[in-house]
Amino acid sequence: MNEMKKTAITLSVNNETYDIVAFPNRTLLEVLRDDLHLTGTKESCGEGVCGSCTVLIDGTPVRSCLTLAVAVQGKEITTIEGLSMGEKLHPVQEAFVNHHAIQCGFCSPGMILTSYALLAENPNPTEKEIRRAISGNVCRCTGYAKIVEAVKSLAEEGK
Amino acid sequence: MRLPPFQYLEPTNVEEALSMIGIHKETVKIMAGGTDLMNRMKLRLIEPAFVMNIGKLRNMDGIDIGDTETVIGANTRLKDIAVAPLVNKRFRAIAEAAFQVASPTIINMATIGGNVLQNTRCMYYDQSGIVLNGLERCHKRGGTVCLAVKGSKRCFSVYQGDMAPALIAFDARCVLEKKGSIRTVSIAELFTSNGVAPFAIGADELLTKILIPRPEGIYSSAYRKLRLRGSVDYPLASAAAFVSVANNRKVSAFRVVIGAAGAAPKVIDGTSREADVEGIARKAYDHAEGVDNLKMPGAYRRKMVSVLAKRAIQAAMDGIKEGM
Repeated sequence: MNEMKKTAITLSVNNETYDIVAFPNRTLLEVLRDDLHLTGTKESCGEGVCGSCTVLIDGTPVRSCLTLAVAVQGKEITTIEGLSMGEKLHPVQEAFVNHHAIQCGFCSPGMILTSYALLAENPNPTEKEIRRAISGNVCRCTGYAKIVEAVKSLAEEGK
Repeated sequence: MRLPPFQYLEPTNVEEALSMIGIHKETVKIMAGGTDLMNRMKLRLIEPAFVMNIGKLRNMDGIDIGDTETVIGANTRLKDIAVAPLVNKRFRAIAEAAFQVASPTIINMATIGGNVLQNTRCMYYDQSGIVLNGLERCHKRGGTVCLAVKGSKRCFSVYQGDMAPALIAFDARCVLEKKGSIRTVSIAELFTSNGVAPFAIGADELLTKILIPRPEGIYSSAYRKLRLRGSVDYPLASAAAFVSVANNRKVSAFRVVIGAAGAAPKVIDGTSREADVEGIARKAYDHAEGVDNLKMPGAYRRKMVSVLAKRAIQAAMDGIKEGM
C-alpha cells in the first residue's frame, strides 16, 4: 500500500471559501458531498460517463468524479446549490420545472449546470447544439425531449 | 469507486516537472486532464506512488499556428482544438478527431497529450478487480496468456486514442523532454506496436508539444470513427485521411491512418498517385486486427475499418472540392 498524507485544501465553492484537510486521492465529488455536504451533486457511474456529477469549474462543465479536489484549488467551483438565489430558483431551474423536464431528478443537477454553461456561452443555441451540449448527461427516466424543450424555451426567451 | 492512495505532486513549471519525473521515474504517473488516468486508477489497473498534476502548467498549453508549422501544447484541451477555426480550416481531421473523442464535458477536461498517450485497452483487461480476479493473468497483467486470442504469445490490446491517427495523417511530430535533454520524434514513432508496453517513451520523459507541418498545395483531411454511443465511447474502428492535389487537380499524395485496429495506429501505404480508394480500403482491411476484445465483434470492426477508410478519403476529397 502506497503512503499518503493528508493535506490542507482550500476550495472556493459557490463564492464561499472552504478549508479542509483531506487525502489527495479524494475526488472533488467526494469532498463536495461528504465534507462540504453539498449533496446536490450526484454520484452515479463514477467513471465520467453519465454526467450526474457535473459541476462548473471557472464556468466550464466538468466531471467531478474524475477531478481531484486538491487539483482545483484556486478555481471557482459552482454546484447546483450555487445556481439558485436562496429560495428563488434560477431561470434554468424554473424552465426545467415548467417544462416537466424533471422526473426522478437524479440527472437534473448535471443537466441544469450543463445547460446553464451552454446558455452562458451561446445564448441562442439551436436544438442540435443543445443536444450536443447535453450529450454527456445521461437521463434514464424523464427522456430528453422535455429537457431540450426547457433549454430551447430559454434560448427563445433570451434568458 | 475510490482512488487508491498516492502522494500528490504539483510542479509550477516544466523544469520542476522534469526534475520530479527524473527522480520518481516509473513510480509517478502524469495527470493532465485526468479523464483516462483516474479511471485506470479507480479500477486499480495502476496504483502509482505519486501522481504529478501538469494540468496547471500554462506554458504547455495553447495553439500557435505558424506559416510552416503549427505547435499545440500537450496540455491543450481537446475542446480548444475542436473549436479552433484555423485548426478546422488547415487540419480538419485533427479538429474532427478532437470533437469526436467524447462529450463536451469530457473534452473540456481531456488534453491532446493525454489522448495521444492513452494506454491500449481490452475487455479482458479494463475491468475492476472483482472481474479480473476470476480471470487468468494475461500478458498485459504480467502473465503468459491472451484471453482474447487463445494460445497467443502476445497481447492483442487495442490502441483507442482518436488524436494519434489524425496527427499521423499530417506527419506530426512531438517534443519529448527530460532533465537536460530534449528530442523530437514523429507521432508514429511513439508507438511500439506492443500492447503490453505501447509507448517508446522513457519514464523520465514528458511530452510537451505536438508539431504539425503545414502541407503544401491544395489539400484536405477527415477523420471517421465507429462507436456505440456517440457521446462517450472510444473508437471501435477509425480512419484518418489526408489528401492533396496538384495544380492539374489530380491527387498528388494521400495518406490513410487506421485506428482501433491493433496496438498502434497503422499507416496504410498511400504512395500511389491515383486515389485508388478501393485499393486503400482493401489494404486497411488487411492491416487491421479484428479481435473479439472490444464492444463489437472483431470481424465487424475489421470490415468497418475498411469502410471508414473509404469514407474518410471521400470526405477529404469532398473537402478539397469545397475549397476550390
